[in-house]
Amino acid sequence: MKRYLFIVSRPPYGSSFAAEQLEAALVAAALDGDVAILLRDDGVWGLQHHQSAEAIQQPTLTKTLSGLPTYEIERLFVCARSLESRGIEPDQTLGFEAIGYAEQQALISSSDVVIGGQR
Amino acid sequence: MIYALAVHGAPYSSNAAEHALGFADALLARGHQIERVFFFHEGVYQGLNGTVPPQTRYNVNLAQRWQSLRSGGTELAVCIASGIKRGVVDENEQERYDLPSHTLSNMFELVGLGQLISAIAAADRYVEFPA
Repeated sequence: MKRYLFIVSRPPYGSSFAAEQLEAALVAAALDGDVAILLRDDGVWGLQHHQSAEAIQQPTLTKTLSGLPTYEIERLFVCARSLESRGIEPDQTLGFEAIGYAEQQALISSSDVVIGGQR
Repeated sequence: MIYALAVHGAPYSSNAAEHALGFADALLARGHQIERVFFFHEGVYQGLNGTVPPQTRYNVNLAQRWQSLRSGGTELAVCIASGIKRGVVDENEQERYDLPSHTLSNMFELVGLGQLISAIAAADRYVEFPA
């Protein structure tokens, strides 16, 4: 069993990238186990309160994020600096822990594989 | 070493394919193995059977280069979830959704996301080529 880290750097809407990446994370958790997720850069918009993507005929990404623990994806992190620079107060109910660069570095080096590492 | 590769960019718009192909050639030349090349996100368009390469000074023909990688035994796997919604379909999916034609080149296979994870699980290294 490998330790997977999925880094989501793209915004939740505007492209299907983040949603497709989370699908891959769910499959990894189902098949091979230990999955962590780190939201950073524009990926942190996923934690914004009061999202209703019905307005743009898209699934609301928050629903996928809130369902992650059901799939045994419980190591959930968000880049503190990315939140701060965008002025986002994250929805705490989603259970993402805000971490700094040093902790992100440790998270990356403790993972066997990083998926979606680039922006 | 065993490598798993992923391509996220579309042909002749992103340079993901050129970079992945160059890397794959270098790996094989050095005696490494490639478990699978997985086409995800907009990378699924690499699997289209009707791309016409633009005429440029270098005349890069991506379909030919994928073909030569495939002929060497490397598996080329297109994500079915990302693929079918973008119109990249094999004969089975054409039939299932009653579509006018199939569009997947026969050197590629349509597979589930599980094949990305199993390739990564079997490999020593995973390298991704972004859009």
